[in-house]
Amino acid sequence: MLKWKLNQDKMIAEYVMQNKENFYRLAYSYVQNPDDALDIVQDSIQKAITSEQLKDQKAIKSWFYKIIVNTSLDFLRRKKKITVVDDTTIQLHMKGREDHYKDIDLHQALNELLPEYRIVIVLRYFEDLKIEEVAEILDLNINTVKTRIYKALKILRVQMEEFNTEGERHNG
Amino acid sequence: MDNNKMEQLKKKYKDIPIPLQLDGVVEQALRKKNNKRPLALWGAGVAAAAVIFTTSLNISPALAKSLSDVPVVGDLVEVLTFKEYHVSEGNYEVDIQVPKVDNMENTSLQESLNNKYLEESQQLYEKFMSEMGAQKAFGEDGHLKIESGYEIKTETNQILSIGRYVEETMASSATTIHYDTIDKQNQLLITLPSLFKDNSYIEVISENIKQQMRQQMEEDESKVYWIEPSDPDAFTTIKENQNFYINADNQLVISFNEYEVAPGYMGAVEFIIPTEELQGVLVSNEYLK
Repeated sequence: MLKWKLNQDKMIAEYVMQNKENFYRLAYSYVQNPDDALDIVQDSIQKAITSEQLKDQKAIKSWFYKIIVNTSLDFLRRKKKITVVDDTTIQLHMKGREDHYKDIDLHQALNELLPEYRIVIVLRYFEDLKIEEVAEILDLNINTVKTRIYKALKILRVQMEEFNTEGERHNG
Repeated sequence: MDNNKMEQLKKKYKDIPIPLQLDGVVEQALRKKNNKRPLALWGAGVAAAAVIFTTSLNISPALAKSLSDVPVVGDLVEVLTFKEYHVSEGNYEVDIQVPKVDNMENTSLQESLNNKYLEESQQLYEKFMSEMGAQKAFGEDGHLKIESGYEIKTETNQILSIGRYVEETMASSATTIHYDTIDKQNQLLITLPSLFKDNSYIEVISENIKQQMRQQMEEDESKVYWIEPSDPDAFTTIKENQNFYINADNQLVISFNEYEVAPGYMGAVEFIIPTEELQGVLVSNEYLK
């Protein structure tokens, strides 16, 4: 086996072991059910292992997230979005309903966002990625990402410092 | 600013429950690197369950070994299950079997081994209970499983090797194994240094292991050991008291815990050191032949 391949596989294996839960959540945020999310994690790991040489090893995070995003999108395209709510999801919602009425509305609103809006929120605010990284993962330019985040926040009626959605800015 | 709202959403996201199957699915995917399988749109649950079952059989000695058989060791010296701890509450599960060595003439050695076994098991149990208490106090829907037991690795007229393993499953699982090898005839605990003339065995054994690691990686590309000198965690030498046992063929077996010399998916790994490699540094061929 080639040396770079060996090193890359080793690096991927370690990275995967450390971040598997993040991968799962990201996949879950697309497909919304555990079995499919597990399938996507498995498929993504195999794609990563059989892929070509990584140009920049520091970019492993964006690279791997990109694989998961694309695998999830492929999956949704094939499945044509048949939403099956499983028990875990129901329990997750029920549990929240008991203690925070307002949060569950917000959470619901997030889940009802179109996938392309939801993913920017997930990557930017839940996975704490930079806007440039989000753009890289989604193959979008930075301005498109900013626009989508802005719109998503507006729909959610959540205001964040970097995106003031309370009225437009008229500076100068 | 609604940073607080976003924090709540983020918390909800981070609270997405992680299925227990995740570990198995990931390990399986890392192992089977060349077997591309088509993305299954159905039957994923069944597939995941099957994966878990087969990997558990491979990695958990406890599952593979029936609980009821009490190994009886010849020559009167025997190992029994002395005590068991068992707790099962939802996602929290502990199962600990404490071994006890019996009928040894060297009662002080017997006592010190048995005390060690009992003490370590109690510590493990207490650790589990406090961890469970802490997770429950924070209202977390945690997963915690500790499984510990023992197995007789080798039993000949002369030698008895007892392996005690601990398998902890939290977010991911980790397996550790400790071995004790007893000379039944002379009623002695055999330590690694006691087998050799001087400390040069460390170098001899380490070199042999590195050679075996390289060979295995060449032959099977799914195997990975941390051996590149550029790697900060690279394996350099064994410890003076590295975990070991003696197998039924009178060969030295060096054992490493999970994550010690290889990524987690490799599990706990062991290497048989050919006796001829050690001939120059052995005190005698009494145990190793």
